[in-house]
Amino acid sequence: MKSKSLTVFSIFVVLATLLAACATATAVPTTAPTEAPVAATEAPTSAPAAQSTCPLPVEKGASIVFSGWGDTSEQKIYTDSIARFKAVCPDVTVDYQPIPDKFQDKMKAMMAGGTAPDVFYVDDQLMTAFASSGQLLALDDYMKQAGVSTSDFIPSLMSEFTLDGKTYGLPKDWGTLGLVYLPDAFTQAGIAEPTENWTWDDMRTAAQKIAATGKYGGFCMAADWARFAPFVLSNGGNFATADGKTATLNTPEVETMAQLVADMFKEKSLVRPSDLGASWCGEAIGKQLVGMTLEGGWMVNTMKQTYPDVTWKTVEVPQGPTARADIIFTNAIGVNASTKYPIASAALAIFITGKDNQAAIVQTGFAYSTHPDQYSMITNEYDQAIAKGGLLPDSVPAYWGPYTGKLEDVVSKALDRVFLGDQTVAQSFDQAQSEAQAALNGQ
Amino acid sequence: MQGKVESAHSHPTLAAILSFLLVFILLMVIAVINAPTMGGPKGLASAATYLAEVKHTALPFLGVVTVGAIALGLVVARTVYREWPNKRKRTTLLAAYGFLAPYLIITLVFTVGVILFAFYISFTNYDIFTPPQWVGLTNYLNAFKGFVDSTQKDFIQSLYNVLWYSLIVIPLQTSIAILLAVMVNAPVRMKQFFRTIFYAPSVTSSVVITLIFMWFYLKTGYINFFLAKFLGIFGITWQNIIWQGDPRGLIQLIVNAFGGNIPSDQWYLRGPSIAWMSIMFQNIFTTAPTFMIMFLAAMQDINPTLYEAAAIDGASNWQRFWKITLPLLRPIILMVIVLGTIGTLQVFDQVYLATSGGPLGTSLTPVYLTFREAMGQQGPIRMGYAAALAFILAVIIFFFTFLQRRMIERGTEQY
Repeated sequence: MKSKSLTVFSIFVVLATLLAACATATAVPTTAPTEAPVAATEAPTSAPAAQSTCPLPVEKGASIVFSGWGDTSEQKIYTDSIARFKAVCPDVTVDYQPIPDKFQDKMKAMMAGGTAPDVFYVDDQLMTAFASSGQLLALDDYMKQAGVSTSDFIPSLMSEFTLDGKTYGLPKDWGTLGLVYLPDAFTQAGIAEPTENWTWDDMRTAAQKIAATGKYGGFCMAADWARFAPFVLSNGGNFATADGKTATLNTPEVETMAQLVADMFKEKSLVRPSDLGASWCGEAIGKQLVGMTLEGGWMVNTMKQTYPDVTWKTVEVPQGPTARADIIFTNAIGVNASTKYPIASAALAIFITGKDNQAAIVQTGFAYSTHPDQYSMITNEYDQAIAKGGLLPDSVPAYWGPYTGKLEDVVSKALDRVFLGDQTVAQSFDQAQSEAQAALNGQ
Repeated sequence: MQGKVESAHSHPTLAAILSFLLVFILLMVIAVINAPTMGGPKGLASAATYLAEVKHTALPFLGVVTVGAIALGLVVARTVYREWPNKRKRTTLLAAYGFLAPYLIITLVFTVGVILFAFYISFTNYDIFTPPQWVGLTNYLNAFKGFVDSTQKDFIQSLYNVLWYSLIVIPLQTSIAILLAVMVNAPVRMKQFFRTIFYAPSVTSSVVITLIFMWFYLKTGYINFFLAKFLGIFGITWQNIIWQGDPRGLIQLIVNAFGGNIPSDQWYLRGPSIAWMSIMFQNIFTTAPTFMIMFLAAMQDINPTLYEAAAIDGASNWQRFWKITLPLLRPIILMVIVLGTIGTLQVFDQVYLATSGGPLGTSLTPVYLTFREAMGQQGPIRMGYAAALAFILAVIIFFFTFLQRRMIERGTEQY
């Protein structure tokens, strides 16, 4: 019976479609993470340095929940950290519940419902949401008790997690941008590879020559505030004042560098990743579509896992007209103010961000330590070159107060309009200035 | 004499009072559960702290709900009082509400209660972790500030985007749905197979389809490749477009073709952007089949003798479609347009996954903006403002639906 076999076939097609609908979709790679880098190298994991005592006298039988984001390699790092913590504070049971996706949204929902973890990652979004409304525990007293001071950490990182003189998070790691390039592109163009003494003009000349070969794009940059920040900072400018109250986007320092970027785009020595069909510049490098770009320590992991056959190198971020400076991305560990075991939770936070645990983490190549004296422990040479940018005196963290997200969006949109040819640099950044000031005023 | 069965012991007054109390207590409990108080662990630590919070912040809200609850309770009590003595009507009443009760209570607690909460919150500044602060109409006024202050134009731009979306998508998806329905209604051999295949996009998850189209729409993706090859046959060179990253508007492109230019601060003259239109067409692909099924079902109800009579009178296929099928489908067309309006004005999934508000805000939608403000993705959590945006959108949708009913329903009373 023809119609019966057709019916069976139709049912099969419907089932197949339903299964396709139920299958988890693999995520298209989005723009490069600007949070803490997820870099892992082959460095041997050394035995953790012995810290024989628990940082604080914890409550007996404390049971706390710890949460953060990250893929499996990051989760392993923190499982190991918790094991080290258990060795020194055996009275505390730590339940590690990572949230790989939509971390901020889930944290806000859990906090609103009263079921948030005791210890968790804090980024600028969560700092804005939780700190001023008193959902984070002030850690200063516990730090004093444990003999830890805010000056133990790189100072520019602490400012993001301090409010009204109180510390609400301890920086757990940081990342920054460096010049990532393909040596092959330089050989093809017949020019020397980047050095540590490069300036943005050197970069532009090289990009022009590489683009002229026709085989590679010159310099890859998306219309992204984070990739534009090193340009601005190296010219003595910034997106806003340090207190995050006044936007400074239509200053000559910012507009000069925007003009540089716009001119490079017009002469086609600068390409956007979407122009190459890539979703971020790291992918463009991996697919060998472009000669160089600004990316961070996460490239180590990405290149090793996804593009293992590609030869690539890094060098410190280039020098600008007035300074050499870089943008720093950082996250912290914070404690829930309503935790039932504040001492145990503070002890976990202090331990994870402490010198011994960070030393162990650095040696895995996962991230850079937030203690100034531990820079020398970075083993991967690519990471070393990139990380130099973060230690420069003029580097600043990517934080301008509670409206940071809106400010970043405004800058990205200004670059978009410039690339589009819609407005001149002056017009675009004038508009951005009024939008940014409105945002910083809280409108 | 069945209608007059009266029980001597029916106690209608008692029943009325009990039902009043039941409705009143139910509504007050729902109000207390959904009271606008400070959220977070401090308020929710225990029932005692929660009730203290309610007393502290939510008394005006409870006051208003009390008035409403008393009114509703009186209406219910009056109905019960009238119907109780009649045993047959009493049984019907009890049975009806008995069966309705579970769903009714869940809807009241989790939907109606939450809507009342959101309505109250829209008049406050609320960031969940601190008690809501009454600000009156400020949130509603701020939403429309974009008309005077161009730095605040997000909501206005989102309404503009979504109106263009409705304008283009509803006629297209309705006509494509009717066409598809006519095609699968025809007596062809593989009718079942085609019905399944055509319906498949509606069944597939919108997330999966959005991701697949994100790859199609890349600059080096399939759509550019196809257009380059296809137009190459006619000798036209095709410049690859970054479909989902191109903020140039439709009207702007037309004006540019004639050598003109629309300046950036008159963004409202530019029309829907290429990125936004790419999402429109991707969505029509998914939503048209759902409506095709509705039209198909309606077409089965059309009396075939009408077609036969028309064929005898010498009507062509087109005349039969235009003069018989379409007018008889009018109620369904109205329903499809109303559902289409409600759906298109609430686009969210594709924006969230593919463009996050899009190149220069040209794919912002009110629901996405509500989400962004409510979750505080670009600044502090602003639940009050988000609630106000949601209610403004609801009023707009209601207004359009009302207009459509008035205009289209004229011809449908005969059924």
